[in-house]
Amino acid sequence: MKRVPLTKEERVSYKMIMPYICFIMIMVIVLFTSNVIMSFTDESGRFTFRNYVNCFSDELTFISFKNTVVWVLGSVAGQMALGMAAALLLNQVRKGQLFFRSIILILPWATLDIVAGVMWKWMYNDMYGVLNDILMKMGLIDEYIAWLATPNMAMLAVIIANIWKGFCLTGMFILAGLQSIPAQLYEAAEIDGAGSLRRFWNITLPQLKQVLMTTIMLTTIWTINYFPLIYTMTGGGPANGTETVVTYIYRLGFRFLDYNKSAALSNILFLIILGISMLFLRQISKEGENV
Amino acid sequence: MRRAVRKKLNSALVYTILIFLSCVIAFPFIWLVITAFKTYPDIYAYPIRYLPQEITLEHFEKISSMNFLSYFKNSMIVGFGTMILSVLIALFPAYAFSRYRFRGKGVLLTTVLLLQMFPQVVFLVPMFKFLSSIGWLDSYWGIIFSYLPFTTPISIVFLRSFFISVPKSLEEAAMIDGCGRMKAFWKVIFPVTLPGISAVGVYAFLFSWSELLYSMSILVGKERQTIPVFLSLFIGQYQTRWGPLFAGSILSTLPPLIIFMVLQRYFISGLVSGAVKE
Repeated sequence: MKRVPLTKEERVSYKMIMPYICFIMIMVIVLFTSNVIMSFTDESGRFTFRNYVNCFSDELTFISFKNTVVWVLGSVAGQMALGMAAALLLNQVRKGQLFFRSIILILPWATLDIVAGVMWKWMYNDMYGVLNDILMKMGLIDEYIAWLATPNMAMLAVIIANIWKGFCLTGMFILAGLQSIPAQLYEAAEIDGAGSLRRFWNITLPQLKQVLMTTIMLTTIWTINYFPLIYTMTGGGPANGTETVVTYIYRLGFRFLDYNKSAALSNILFLIILGISMLFLRQISKEGENV
Repeated sequence: MRRAVRKKLNSALVYTILIFLSCVIAFPFIWLVITAFKTYPDIYAYPIRYLPQEITLEHFEKISSMNFLSYFKNSMIVGFGTMILSVLIALFPAYAFSRYRFRGKGVLLTTVLLLQMFPQVVFLVPMFKFLSSIGWLDSYWGIIFSYLPFTTPISIVFLRSFFISVPKSLEEAAMIDGCGRMKAFWKVIFPVTLPGISAVGVYAFLFSWSELLYSMSILVGKERQTIPVFLSLFIGQYQTRWGPLFAGSILSTLPPLIIFMVLQRYFISGLVSGAVKE
C-alpha cells in the first residue's frame, strides 16, 4: 500500500483530536496497563497467576457473578417494560407533556444516586417503612415484610429501587424513537383496519428495533457497573445476597486491601463487558445494514 | 361520530394512567421531603403518621451546623472544574469528528464509544495508586482528574451530534467572507451550539455532583469531601440518622433537579441523538 500524504483536512482534524488522545487515551492506557500488571503480581512484586486463581477458587466470586446476573436481568427487564409503557403513554399526549415528562422522566434521573438509595432504604424499613404500611392497607400482605433482611427479598428490593432510578433513561430513548416513526405508517394501518395491538406489534416494535437494541445494551452495561444504590441500601448484604461483582471489587480493594486480587477481578469484569458490548455492536451494525 | 367519542375516551384513559404513574413515581421523593420536616417522634411513629403533627426545621439546622455549606462548596468546585475541563477537552475532537473526513476516524470514534462503557471500578485501584504517587490524593485536582476519563467520551458523543445538526454551509459562508477556520468556529458555530455545549457541561457537572465511588475512596480528609461522601457518613451499620440525612438529600437534589427541568429539551435531544442514532 502506498503512503498517501495527509490532506489539509486531515492535518487540521488530527491537530484538533491530538489533545484528547494525548490526555485521555494515554491516561486510560496507563491506568489499564498498571491494573493488568497489578493483577499479575503478588505482594512482594513477583509475577504470579495466583490472583486469578484466587478469584476463581473463591466462592464469593461465583456468588457475586450469580447476583450480578439476577440484578442485571431484573433491572433491565423492569426498566425496559416501565420505560416502554411511559414512553408510549407520553407519546400520546400533547397537552401537559412537559409536565408529565418532568415528573416521570426527570425526577428519578435528577435524584442523586445516594439519595435514591437512602430514600428507598427508609421506605423498606420493616417497622417504620411506608411501603409495608401501604401494602398492608391495600390488603396485599398480611404481615410486615422484612425487605432488606433476607437475601432474596433484599435483591428484589434493590432491583425495584434501581428500576425506579433508571427507567427514565430507557423511557427517554424509546420516546425519542417513537417520535421518529413516520405518522403515515399508522394512518395507512388504520385505514387497513388494524387494531392498536396489531399496530404496536407490526409497526411500532419493528421500527423501534434499532433503538431498543441500543437501549438494552446501554442499560445492561450501566447496570453491571452501577454501584451506589446497592452500596447505600444493603452494602452487599445480607449474607452476600446483594453482593454484585462491582461491590465485591470495591470491598476487595478498599475493605480487605487486597489490591491485586481486586485488580484481577476487575480485569475479568472488563473483559466480560467488552464481550457484551462487542456482541451488541455487531448485532446492531448487522441490523443497520438490513434496513 | 363514534370515532370521536372513542378518541375522547382513549385520551381520558391515557391521562388517568399518566396521573397515576406520576403519583407512583413521585411518591418516594415526596415521602423524603415530608420526612425531612418531621420531628423524630413523628418519624418513628408506629403506626405510621403520614403527615407531621408539627413541622420542624431542626434537621436542616443540624446539617448546617455540621458544615454542610463547606461540602456544598467542595461539590461546586469539583463540579465546575470537571465541567470546564470536560468541555475544553471534548470541544475540538467533537468538532473534528462532525466535520472532517480523516483516516482512522471510524476506529477513534468507536474507541470513544467504548470508553463510555468502561467500568469505573476497573480504574479505582490504579487511579488511587497513581494519584497517591503524585501526591494528588485528597485534592480537588486529583478528583477532577479522575472524573475526566468518564465525562469526556460522552461529552464528545453529545457535542458531535450538536455540531452535525448545524449546516456546514454556515461556516463555509463565514470562511468565504474572510474568516479563518478558528474565527469561523468561534463567531458562527460556537454561538449557535452554545445551548448544546452548556447542556454537555451541565451533564459533566452533575456526573461529579452525584459520583460516590471515587469521591469516597479518593477524598479521605473532611476538608475536601463532596456532598455524596458527606451523606454517606449518616448511613451507619446499625443506626441511620434519617432526619439530617433527608434534609441534606433535599438540599443536594434541588440544584440538579432545577437544572434538568429547565434544560430538559437540550438534554433529551443530545443524549438521544448521541446514543441512539449512532
